[in-house]
Amino acid sequence: MANRWVLLFVLGVIAVLMAAPLVLTLFTSLKPTTELVNPAWYPPIDLTFEHYIRVWTEGGFSRYFVNTLIISVVDAIVMILIASLAAYAMVFMQFPGKMLLQLLFVLGLMIPVTAVVLPLFQIVRSFGLLNTHLGVIFADLALAVSVFVFMFTSYFAGVPKALHEAARIDGATEFQIYRRVVMPIATPAVVTTALLEFLWSWNDLLLRLLLMTRDEMRTLSVGLLNFQGTMTRDVTGLSSGTVIMAIPVVLLFLVFQRSFVRGMTAGAVK
Amino acid sequence: MFLDPNSKWAARLNPVLFLLPALSIYIIFAIYPTVSVVEYSFTDWDGISPERNYIGLENYRKMFSDKIFWEAFRNTFVWSGVILVINVGLGLVIAAMLARVWKARLLIQTCIVLPVVISPMAVATIWRWMYQPNGVINQLLEGIGLGALARPWLGDPNVVLYALAFAHSWSTIGLSVIIFLAGLQAVDEDLYEASKVDGATPLQQFRYVTMPALRPVTAVVFILTLTQSFKVFDIVWATTQGGPIRFSEILSTYMYKRGALENQYGYGSAIGVALLVIVSVATIIYLQIQNRKEQ
Repeated sequence: MANRWVLLFVLGVIAVLMAAPLVLTLFTSLKPTTELVNPAWYPPIDLTFEHYIRVWTEGGFSRYFVNTLIISVVDAIVMILIASLAAYAMVFMQFPGKMLLQLLFVLGLMIPVTAVVLPLFQIVRSFGLLNTHLGVIFADLALAVSVFVFMFTSYFAGVPKALHEAARIDGATEFQIYRRVVMPIATPAVVTTALLEFLWSWNDLLLRLLLMTRDEMRTLSVGLLNFQGTMTRDVTGLSSGTVIMAIPVVLLFLVFQRSFVRGMTAGAVK
Repeated sequence: MFLDPNSKWAARLNPVLFLLPALSIYIIFAIYPTVSVVEYSFTDWDGISPERNYIGLENYRKMFSDKIFWEAFRNTFVWSGVILVINVGLGLVIAAMLARVWKARLLIQTCIVLPVVISPMAVATIWRWMYQPNGVINQLLEGIGLGALARPWLGDPNVVLYALAFAHSWSTIGLSVIIFLAGLQAVDEDLYEASKVDGATPLQQFRYVTMPALRPVTAVVFILTLTQSFKVFDIVWATTQGGPIRFSEILSTYMYKRGALENQYGYGSAIGVALLVIVSVATIIYLQIQNRKEQ
């Protein structure tokens, strides 16, 4: 019995240490400048939102926030569509070259974004898509689509073939079967895809750093990087910016924790 | 006729229609750049001028005799090594403890997993602030009488790489923990009961029951952590940009400097290919383990 309490205590300490960096950042962002002389682990006494307002308006974070939101939402929605359509074809349709296509998608699991950013920049530029939401969206989709094609494929593989056959005999088109029969069953895969793609898109720096050079197109990650470069000593501004960037994904995580955990383990544990 | 689902036309056309959106984006923005990075690596292109000459293996010859490349190469492996020890070792221990606890489990798990969803850019900002000479870490050390250990963590050549690896581990260990937890839940409870009857201590149980049963999951976490740590760019770029001097330079930051900032596109691409090869090999091993587990 005593063992259990020791275990719980150790875990409690670990949990506090893991949460501390986030909590301290939140504390700092809410402190008036006069309280910055206190140690970082002192909670704010006179709560103030002045730093948030400053960063949001003067710091340009409202624009960065909107840009990030547009890209992430479009990424998530389009990813669900294209990955599920492709997976549907891979599972329910017969066509030549299927094996080859599967291999091609496996290749996508291996390509690290970091390694291909230089030519990717050239391609996006040659389409005239530098400094556009669309350029980043295409790059995001392309570099992650494999993961989600396989996620939907393994989900669809569990749909009884008889269900598909029955719908065919009833005269439904493939698209009708996709929409009315298969997709409703695949809701968990849809949720996981939406969450993961949104998260990856929201958090990425490298692609956005390379493809968004004009200030009005910047995302939160690039905005924060820039802010950090020019306002090194602005501790309250930096922590408010960090919190602004973290809040949406933290809320999503807290609400959809189960789906997140399932999605993050799906690739690893079968 | 076109809408007749059983017509020959529909059977031929449908796969194309369903695959086209994903495939066209994928080929143009993922496969083509991958082929291009290999092609560029054989040229002396600067990334801007219309002219580029094929120079054979010159970039690779240069890379293999480039001292900085080898420093970055070495740093990348040290970096991954540190992260492996923390994420696999500590991750397993935390998961094993968590599996034995019911009270407050969700709360503890949430605290550990939450950093996983935080952007590497935000992680970089947070830890840069905490690592400052007058930052939280040093304040804490002084507070508990270990002031002698205080240092400018990101300015000290001997610790910067480890300090950054630690920050990265903070933000990724939650993933290891939940994968291990899922693995632990699959371990046969009877084995624990049997070993308890035989008088095994909890530590012996961990050593002789838990660890062997978790070997496949451990392999998965190991190689997953490895591939992900090889790819890291954001957190290093947003804190030290590889500095001080080159003490935290890893392959991705070095490639970015040469290729994107110094216009040595051909040479940067060669470094990109090196990265591609390393990550691909690790990923193939990962997929192999996954396949074996499924069978």
